[in-house]
Amino acid sequence: MSQSLAVRAAASNSLARVHEIIDLLASHDASGEVITAVHHIPARDAQWAAAPAWMRSELTAAYSAKGIAQLYTHQAAAAEAVHGGRNVVIVTPTASGKTLCYNLPVLNAVLENADTRALYLFPTKALAQDQLAELHDLSRRLNDSFGVFTYDGDTPADARAAIREKGHIVLTNPDMLHTGILPHHTRWQRLFENLRYIVLDELHTYRGVFGSHLCNVLRRLRRIANFYGSSPQFICCSATVANPGELASRLIESDVEVLDANGAPAAEKIFVLYNPPVVNRHLGIRRSYIHETSRLAQEFLKRNLQTIVFSNSRLQTEVLLTYLQQAFPAAPGAPPDVRGYRGGYLPGERREIERGLRDGRIRGVVSTNALELGIDIGSLDATVMAGYPGTIASTWQRAGRAGRRSGSSCAVMVASSSPLDQYIVRNPEYFFGRSPEHAYVQPDNLEILVNHLKCAAFELPIAADEKFGGVELPELCDRLAEAGFLHRAGDHWHWTQQAYPADTVSLRSVTSDNFVIVDITGTPEVIGEVDFSSALTTVHPKAIYLHQGEQFHVERMDFDERKAYVKRVNADYYTDAIRYTQVRVLEIADQARLNRAADKTDGDLHAARVWGDVLVRSQVIGFKKIKFFTHENIGDGKLELPENEMHTTAFWTTLERSLIESLPYTLSERQDGMRGLLHAMRSVATLLLMCDQRDLGTAIGERPPTPGVIAGRDGWEAPPDLAEMRAGAPEKEFFEPNLYLYDAYPGGIGFSEPLFRAHSLLLAKTRELIAGCTCSKGCPSCVGPSGEGSERGKEAALTILERLGA
Amino acid sequence: MSTSSIGDKFSRLAALRPSRKAAARESSPMDGDPGEVARFLGATLGRNRYGEHLVIRRWFPTPEPCLESNDVRRTRALKMLLPNGASESGSKHNLPPIDALANDPAQWLFLDTETTGLAGGSGTYAFLVGVAWWESGGLQVEQFFMRDFAEEHSLLLALDERLAERRVLVTFNGKSFDWPLLETRFRMTRAIAPRTPSIHLDLLHPSRQLWRPRLASVRLAELERHVLRVSPGSRLDWSRDCDVDSSQIPEIYFNFVRGGSAEPLLPVIRHNQMDLRGLAALAGHILEMIAAQQDEDFPGEVKTPDEAIDLFGMSRLLGRRGEAKLARKTCQAALTAGLPGEHDRAARRDLARLAKRAGDLGGAVEMWESLLSPRQGRSPQLKNSAEQSLALERIMTRGAIGSNSFFAEGSQLRAALEACEQLAIHFEHRARALERASQVTRHGLALVHRARTAQHVDEFSRDKAFCRKWLERLEYRLARIERKAAGMAAEHPIEQEFQRD
Repeated sequence: MSQSLAVRAAASNSLARVHEIIDLLASHDASGEVITAVHHIPARDAQWAAAPAWMRSELTAAYSAKGIAQLYTHQAAAAEAVHGGRNVVIVTPTASGKTLCYNLPVLNAVLENADTRALYLFPTKALAQDQLAELHDLSRRLNDSFGVFTYDGDTPADARAAIREKGHIVLTNPDMLHTGILPHHTRWQRLFENLRYIVLDELHTYRGVFGSHLCNVLRRLRRIANFYGSSPQFICCSATVANPGELASRLIESDVEVLDANGAPAAEKIFVLYNPPVVNRHLGIRRSYIHETSRLAQEFLKRNLQTIVFSNSRLQTEVLLTYLQQAFPAAPGAPPDVRGYRGGYLPGERREIERGLRDGRIRGVVSTNALELGIDIGSLDATVMAGYPGTIASTWQRAGRAGRRSGSSCAVMVASSSPLDQYIVRNPEYFFGRSPEHAYVQPDNLEILVNHLKCAAFELPIAADEKFGGVELPELCDRLAEAGFLHRAGDHWHWTQQAYPADTVSLRSVTSDNFVIVDITGTPEVIGEVDFSSALTTVHPKAIYLHQGEQFHVERMDFDERKAYVKRVNADYYTDAIRYTQVRVLEIADQARLNRAADKTDGDLHAARVWGDVLVRSQVIGFKKIKFFTHENIGDGKLELPENEMHTTAFWTTLERSLIESLPYTLSERQDGMRGLLHAMRSVATLLLMCDQRDLGTAIGERPPTPGVIAGRDGWEAPPDLAEMRAGAPEKEFFEPNLYLYDAYPGGIGFSEPLFRAHSLLLAKTRELIAGCTCSKGCPSCVGPSGEGSERGKEAALTILERLGA
Repeated sequence: MSTSSIGDKFSRLAALRPSRKAAARESSPMDGDPGEVARFLGATLGRNRYGEHLVIRRWFPTPEPCLESNDVRRTRALKMLLPNGASESGSKHNLPPIDALANDPAQWLFLDTETTGLAGGSGTYAFLVGVAWWESGGLQVEQFFMRDFAEEHSLLLALDERLAERRVLVTFNGKSFDWPLLETRFRMTRAIAPRTPSIHLDLLHPSRQLWRPRLASVRLAELERHVLRVSPGSRLDWSRDCDVDSSQIPEIYFNFVRGGSAEPLLPVIRHNQMDLRGLAALAGHILEMIAAQQDEDFPGEVKTPDEAIDLFGMSRLLGRRGEAKLARKTCQAALTAGLPGEHDRAARRDLARLAKRAGDLGGAVEMWESLLSPRQGRSPQLKNSAEQSLALERIMTRGAIGSNSFFAEGSQLRAALEACEQLAIHFEHRARALERASQVTRHGLALVHRARTAQHVDEFSRDKAFCRKWLERLEYRLARIERKAAGMAAEHPIEQEFQRD
């Protein structure tokens, strides 16, 4: 009793300090534009449920000894569902005891039958390590009656054989499963013969390219398990997304029961959205969000609130760390109070920081997303985020690092000037409401699918009548045989290459085609790599390539060897590639008219929304040199680089002639409006699709008379001449323009069809973004840089949106 | 989706970019006369419940059997080659004891596979499995060949029968390659359990111990040339002159299954036969070398430098197999016979270790000191002459480049440093001569510093790490020795004062 009083006193104390800070901030925010939301999440009581009757007494005793005598309702429900043999996805916030949801039924099954095996997949090695400690503790309490091991790139070779035999629970990651376990499945016979459970934690991270790969890795895993006579059951855990059930069942290609009623208690939490004050209203320039983050973090630290600061890049982490360590210098000889944490730090150092955070010795930490998932750092008092992490799910996970179990806490998100950040901070209801974020995968992307089919054939000959996921294989196998990868003998396709296919397939990219960057300042040294398509814009000849805060001048680009040679320089400018992109429609998958206007008075205004297959041809035709800080254009250069063609999928909006003619603007204003609209649409689309800006490309092109038809010069326009562009040559008018949003990956990664479906939401949110922006004539936060110098671009974009019915 | 668009899609896929030229003909070799390939390869058809495969049988008059059941001399030698603890198990499954099995030449089965790659994993196939055993005073070779992947089960069942008959498996690198690969193949059948041999004698490791000092490479073909003296006209009368390049073998097979001619397979089959004959001859050679150890007149007269080096190799083999006493004797004999510089130092290092283990500290110290002695013309020395810096530099750079040599990675420097360390331990703890302990440690430090400043070294992080490791080790030791010395001085302040005067 006295203890709980003490806790409450401490809690209210920290709450008082949090309020003090918010009041302080509010007092400087007369216009109310800075603190755009203070969201109060009240404390919640735990909802308890009885432990399942089938739970073995020794397991109950082990959990009791750890202080867990009762289960939260969602834990009990999950255990029941798993025990009942159903695939489940558990959707609960950070720190709600989700690991128990899978550990309990799995361990119970192992205790029932010592042959039972389970495979746990975590997206990163660090997360697996973190889970290992918990399982080791349980194993000790259960007289070491089961074996649990991590199996990843760091596992010593001499330990591997024992793990294969004795590991009841093997903790690994998708990459290791892909290259290290599946191709050597005969050594894992014991595990596969008895494989009953597969746990997929942090399921929401398996989306886009990574998720599409994982889905194929799981197809291979199920195939191998079936070969050994087992058909494992899936237990998935996900952070909150709009479609956890859809994502899970798409990934495991089976029905899944969604469990999203959280029974865990939560302490009171205050969530603040903070928009740095405007410095120049006309240009829409705000105070630096990095500085503001540092300032806010200092307020928390000054009041002795243990604080975690998240940034979105390694560089920013270091910058913020410098600011905060200057503000809170360490006592002479003592370690600093504020520490940094990111990939690239040594494991020992990371463990030491984690411990320091848990026992309170370290008062503040600045981290990249490395601390966002899982790693146990105890509960902190406050989270300050420098910039929107990109998804609502990540934002909540980062916020969850403060106030895990008890004691009230505070989270502040400081918006940058990017459109996404600005949208979020100005539309708090979007953020705090029901999650609008959908996670999508496209496992049947041909490039990805074929690569995994190769791996599958290596693992086990492919039967002539076999299906992979739902995909029919004969045609693909024929193609693979023609290319020399497979050979059909009897009823099976066999792998006929010396090479090991999984080695050349990375789960993090669509193709393995990339450029290696070689620093030739001194002794040649490889400093990094970029994938093929970004290589054209980032390491073209004469480009300034930025790497870990250093500048490199690209001396030479070797296309055959896929190498870019760079030298370290100190320039006062960076380069921006000028890319000329054209899209050709190959095939329309679905289309619909957008004629809300027609329902009213004017029957002539028309538009259409479409999605389908396209061919994207882009060419980098030159580059601009842009001065740091002032962003002046201080010169440009012409480049002769090869064209890059990509077959992918796109979603597009066609503005028909009647609509174009109804716009009361000049030609160039209309064009600016269209470009601005597309820019904003892309920003909103990344929000809905939980993806990155780089995942979607944009282009405007003339609507073709019919799909696939080729007219003149192979159907493509010659790229414009840079000199003419500089001289301000008149723009060509589009008769009926298509505004394309295409998947920036060969084969497409599954964004186009959802965008087609969510078209009206996309337009509505785009309108909110542009209309809600405080700038007067368009800025990088809404219609993007194309509006520069255009007086009516923003207005035109809004008018087009209105004509489209938004 | 229209067909044309699918065609378009496929043509652009990076994942489908052909990795090689497809074979001209795409028909299966089984399409024509099924007997044709068999006749061409001189094979007969093997049949069992899983189907068919080809069997090629050939008897060779050489090498002759290397073991007879009552040959005590070789039996004793064989015992030394057997894996540790092999003689303990065996009776569990009502099998004859391991020693008896190993001593029974009728139980020996030589094995070598030709595969579709070296990557391992479940997608690498053994398309040709050769086995051999002693018969009628010569070697009977039997090769199982699958004309297509569909014949694999049948091939494996035939192989399994041979493995059941003969329980002592003899291979070259089979422990890490051929056998795990076959185990995978057996498991993939889900019908034939892999039959683990009672004894697996892998000649790769003994060969490495024996001949790494003399030969840059201990591949079987190299051993045939430089150890077994295989050549046409001699007793082992085959020739590798027209041998197939083993890296080509997978492609030869892939071309064949895709409908190519069977002709390029002939050299592969011959290659496998030569490997089996070489393996059998090597087994005899190694057994005889070890057996000769126990002869009265051993080592006899050493005629060539190569023989001396081989003696040193033998001492390595004996040392690894727990025969410390024999190893020391052999190593000493090699040293006495005269070894080239690098080998000489390596032998002294081994001798020092062996002496130390035998409790002969005097002998060990003598060897360590000889390693640092200026009389050892090519060894790193105390004097700071430019010439020696150059020598060191040479050593370091050669080590750094990682030449294929047995003495890669600046091993001269390492030998010298180990000697310094061992001597320091000896003087500090046993002889209680701190002054000398400190002196040899400083000497070691000087060697590292010189190596560090030598040209090129900085470019090789491995050497940097090597130097850093040794600096740390020696500095730590020196600090402790000096602390001790200071402590002793403090206990005897007057003595110290006196000395200073």
